[in-house]
Amino acid sequence: MNELRMILKKEFIHILRDRITLLLVLAMPVALVLLFGFTISTDIHNAKVAVLDYSKDTHSQRLLQKMFSSNYFQIVSYPNTEAEIDFQFKENNIKLALIIPQNFEEQLEKEHVVTLQVINDVSDLNVASILNNYVRAVVRDFQDEYNSERSDEGDVNIVTKMQYNPNMESVYMFVPGIITLIMILVTALMSSITLAREKETGTMRMLFITPVKKIYIIIGKVIPYMIISFFSTIVIIIISVFVFKMPLNGSIFFLLLLCIIFMLTSASFGMLISAVSTTQLDAMMITMMGLFLPTVLLSGFLFPLNSMPMIFQLIANVFPAKWFILAIKDVMIKGSGLSDVWAYLLVLLGMAVVFISISLKMLDKRN
Amino acid sequence: MNSIEVEHLTKKFGDFIAVDDISFQVREGEIFGFLGANGAGKTTAIKMMSGLLRPTSGTAVVAGYDVLTQSKFIKRNIGYMSQRFSLYNDLTVFENMQLFGTIYKIPRRELKNRIMQSLEQLDMTKQANLLVSSIPLGWKQKLAFATAILHKPKIVFLDEPTSGVDPIVRREFWNLIYQTASTGVTILVTTHYMDEAEYCHRVSIMADGKIRLLGTPEELKRQVGVNTINDVFVAYVKH
Repeated sequence: MNELRMILKKEFIHILRDRITLLLVLAMPVALVLLFGFTISTDIHNAKVAVLDYSKDTHSQRLLQKMFSSNYFQIVSYPNTEAEIDFQFKENNIKLALIIPQNFEEQLEKEHVVTLQVINDVSDLNVASILNNYVRAVVRDFQDEYNSERSDEGDVNIVTKMQYNPNMESVYMFVPGIITLIMILVTALMSSITLAREKETGTMRMLFITPVKKIYIIIGKVIPYMIISFFSTIVIIIISVFVFKMPLNGSIFFLLLLCIIFMLTSASFGMLISAVSTTQLDAMMITMMGLFLPTVLLSGFLFPLNSMPMIFQLIANVFPAKWFILAIKDVMIKGSGLSDVWAYLLVLLGMAVVFISISLKMLDKRN
Repeated sequence: MNSIEVEHLTKKFGDFIAVDDISFQVREGEIFGFLGANGAGKTTAIKMMSGLLRPTSGTAVVAGYDVLTQSKFIKRNIGYMSQRFSLYNDLTVFENMQLFGTIYKIPRRELKNRIMQSLEQLDMTKQANLLVSSIPLGWKQKLAFATAILHKPKIVFLDEPTSGVDPIVRREFWNLIYQTASTGVTILVTTHYMDEAEYCHRVSIMADGKIRLLGTPEELKRQVGVNTINDVFVAYVKH
């Protein structure tokens, strides 16, 4: 146990004395989450909209005018039926459709409540949610103006209908995605690079010639970076909940447990990479090409998985990120617990066991 | 008593035979020179003797333990220093020694004493808390040697320990080797410097994975009919 403690101490010294890398590793998650968070909520101008106005009265005209005097929207068509709207969506002509009910004015004046329907193309989630907010703002503006003109208050409700991705569950995809990327970068990339560095400098052979257990060497490499990435994960979660209002419906402890398990999986993937690579450059290239890139592309984080060709959907299963993102999404958004996501955890743990045992074997062979 | 007994040791990598059926013995406290051109198989032989690499065939008994079945015990009883300087540059002198000492399970207080003693012997007490990256190469090599014998191994493998080091430090380094051997530690050293070969009790010359010549420097010179080990080496490695 003394040996393990000493090896851990050595690894921490390596990390702490390499100030620039440490700074990079600590600042990266914050930079990434802010970058993604703010770039994803950029303004959208002149989104194409179809309007189906059943009432065609002065109020509805006023609302529409309000809507299209802002440069957020651009009316491209006035369909006559909802089927036509559907068709327009399918043809990808419009991003949003607004349906104004019959007797809009009458309902508003007499019943003081009227309901508008907004249909969103949610296959592009970020755009859809931004547009939705714009519509809400315009309608609220219209309502405020209407109310200020008279004593009796009217209320305009909006019913939103999601097309193509009704649960809209990946609006917050970027947070799980970033947590995943950070954990891969820190645990897999950093630990595999430092292990490869020891191979390059020859200290690895020094260690192997001593009676120290190989698993200690690996644990020593992995633990410090797991601690760092655990810390980063907490920072990301704090930023996303407080700055970007990401829901956190599940238990925070379970969420962190989930993260620890994923860290273990990606660290073990990192070990596998360093077992097959002999230089730091090797380790970096293999992590980037073999793990990082597939994670970005195939985890469902940036590009929805179910719109990909079958072969890619199958390949995605091999990478731990997919399973982790499924689990973390459920926990954060749906508030799922162990009983719902245990299968994903099992997959992640299973992968970790496989990766670790292969890399131990490889390390044996190589040296 | 022999501390290394090698019998018909062979290592093949695919079709390539790195070490081809070598046999020799090294006595306790002996300084045994392991000469050969680059690629002659020296490093592979050392790796097999130190339990890092499994022989394809043949066997070796090192410090009384069989490399095939008892490599764990061998590791505890040998020290190793490689041609490339291989301590940690971003650790201090003391931290490096502490790390390796702890790995060899030297009790903490005992370890501290040994490190201090060893640094005193090297005249490096003042450098104990300097980063290894900041000390000159010659000192690093001496430090690596001191670290390799910290756990009092029975055998020390030195793989080109003096390459790139200036003549004065090389002389000091050999003094360290003599001192260590005089306490009964067996030294197996590979080198490119033929003058260093003259310092060894016995030398072997390897070429193409085989041991071509083995004996005291005097014997070899007489046998080949030349005046220096360098000439012996040139005569034998050329063929």
